Amino acid sequence: MLNLFASLGAWGMASLTRLGRAHLLLFPLVRGLLDILRRPRLLVDQLFSVGVLTILIIAVAGLFVGMVLGLQGYNVLSRFGGETALGFMVAASLVRELGPVLTALLFAGRAGSALTAEIGLMKATEQLSGLEMMAVNPEHRVLAPRFFAGLISVPLLAAIFSCLGVLGGWMVGGGLLGVDQAAFWNGMQEGIDFHDDVINGVIKSVVFGFVCTWIAVFQGYDCVPTSEGVSRATTRTVVHSSLAVLGLDFVLTALMFG
Amino acid sequence: MQQSAKECGKPLVRIRGLRFRRGERWIFDGLDIDIPRDRITAIMGPSGTGKTTLLKLIGGQLVPDEGTVEVDGQNVHALSTAELYRLRMRMGMLFQSGALLTDLSVFDNVAFPLREHTRLTESMIRKLVLLKLEAVGLRGARDLMPSQLSGGMARRVALARAIALDPMMIMYDEPFTGQDPISMGVLVQLIRQLNDAAHLTSILVSHDVAETLQIADQVYVISDGRVVESGSPEELGEGGSDWTRQFINGLPDGPVPFHYPAPALSDDLLEGARC
Ligand SMILES: Nc1ncnc2c1ncn2[C@@H]1O[C@H](COP(=O)(O)OP(=O)(O)O)[C@@H](O)[C@H]1O
Ligand SMILES: [Mg+2]
Repeated sequence: MLNLFASLGAWGMASLTRLGRAHLLLFPLVRGLLDILRRPRLLVDQLFSVGVLTILIIAVAGLFVGMVLGLQGYNVLSRFGGETALGFMVAASLVRELGPVLTALLFAGRAGSALTAEIGLMKATEQLSGLEMMAVNPEHRVLAPRFFAGLISVPLLAAIFSCLGVLGGWMVGGGLLGVDQAAFWNGMQEGIDFHDDVINGVIKSVVFGFVCTWIAVFQGYDCVPTSEGVSRATTRTVVHSSLAVLGLDFVLTALMFG
Repeated sequence: MQQSAKECGKPLVRIRGLRFRRGERWIFDGLDIDIPRDRITAIMGPSGTGKTTLLKLIGGQLVPDEGTVEVDGQNVHALSTAELYRLRMRMGMLFQSGALLTDLSVFDNVAFPLREHTRLTESMIRKLVLLKLEAVGLRGARDLMPSQLSGGMARRVALARAIALDPMMIMYDEPFTGQDPISMGVLVQLIRQLNDAAHLTSILVSHDVAETLQIADQVYVISDGRVVESGSPEELGEGGSDWTRQFINGLPDGPVPFHYPAPALSDDLLEGARC
């Protein structure tokens, strides 16, 4: 029994100190902005590998999610003769919820895990130590550009997701199921509020982007520098990011729309 | 450099009463080492004695629990981050694995410290990089990626990178481990040449006895957190304690037993029979 408490306590302490280290890492990350300003190239390279290479999966996923929304929405709405509200329904679901949330989940799986593995392997192969000995701070030089690239990419990716989702909904609703085209777009235009829907969605995706990239970068930097340690850290990145995104989504939704 | 002139007669690195702990275990327990200038000083000891740890303590990547490490008259662990980074620009370190940046080509790896720390033009950097690569015999390999290099070549590239900023000293972490006899010979010769041509101070950490004794000017042997033997290679070869003789000559049994501590074999076997 005493052992149970002791190991519980040790686990709690370890988790807390890790959380502390994660927060302390934010200072050098922000400080790394100076390096990025001096050499924007660092950020541009990361924007490509973190952001641009994720566009395809986001676009395809967005299209399919929109198509499903079109189909399901039509089934429900047509029972009440409300097919004309399909455009609004599709767009609102995407912009408010599905766009930011699914983008963040896909980002954690595609880019977050890759970030963790890359940084973890750099640690395991002494590349980070090597940078330190060359008088280059790896937190500024390696972590910060990746962090800001993620922070910038996720909201943009969420926008792409939502746009293609709307397109998918329109293809199914307007194209296949014969909903009136004008009503589809009109309903969307009138129903969606710039502040309530679009801005809140953007705020969500900025928060998710921050959390996902922060977790990914920290897990890589904090991993045990062995192959097993890197693989565990990669798993943790995906699990922690997904849970954090879903939990935060509830909190943010309650604050914004509650 | 004025400081160097003032400190000229003194050793470049001076370690006093160094104690360092990993968990419950004292890796170093009162270590005193002097590294003289312009020489090759070898630090030898069995695997796991903390040779890599010692280099990281000298480079300021780890902080000792007690004791001081002075490099060129500066206490490494009392420096501010900016001062420490300035000091590190004058130290080169060759990691066991080479630690090349895997996303950069050989050329860009060697150019990396120059691009980070100097304002030289690209054409100037190109000349310097080619000269450094020439010194290690790999000018022709400049467009390869680190994954395309053999272990020995990777270490030579790392060496070129370590001397890119013309440091005052280089620390070599097990440069010979896992090398075939030819690359071993190449590295031995390179380390000696670099040391003599560029007035470098070299710290060579290794457990490859023959190669190390061949080029070192002075040797420290450490075991169990202390210096157990020091002197020139000749002195070490002649006399020394039983332990040193076992280590230098690679005898399987001696003060360091072949067997990990265990109960007598007969007891162990009988135990199994009884169950
Ligand atoms: N990051 C670490 N955490 C805990 N123990 C470590 C760590 N790095 C090294 N050690 C331990 O410190 C000791 C010395 O390691 P090291 O300096 O790498 O030895 P050497 O280079 O002489 O083979 C070893 O016993 C090793 O297990
Ligand atoms: Mg070692």
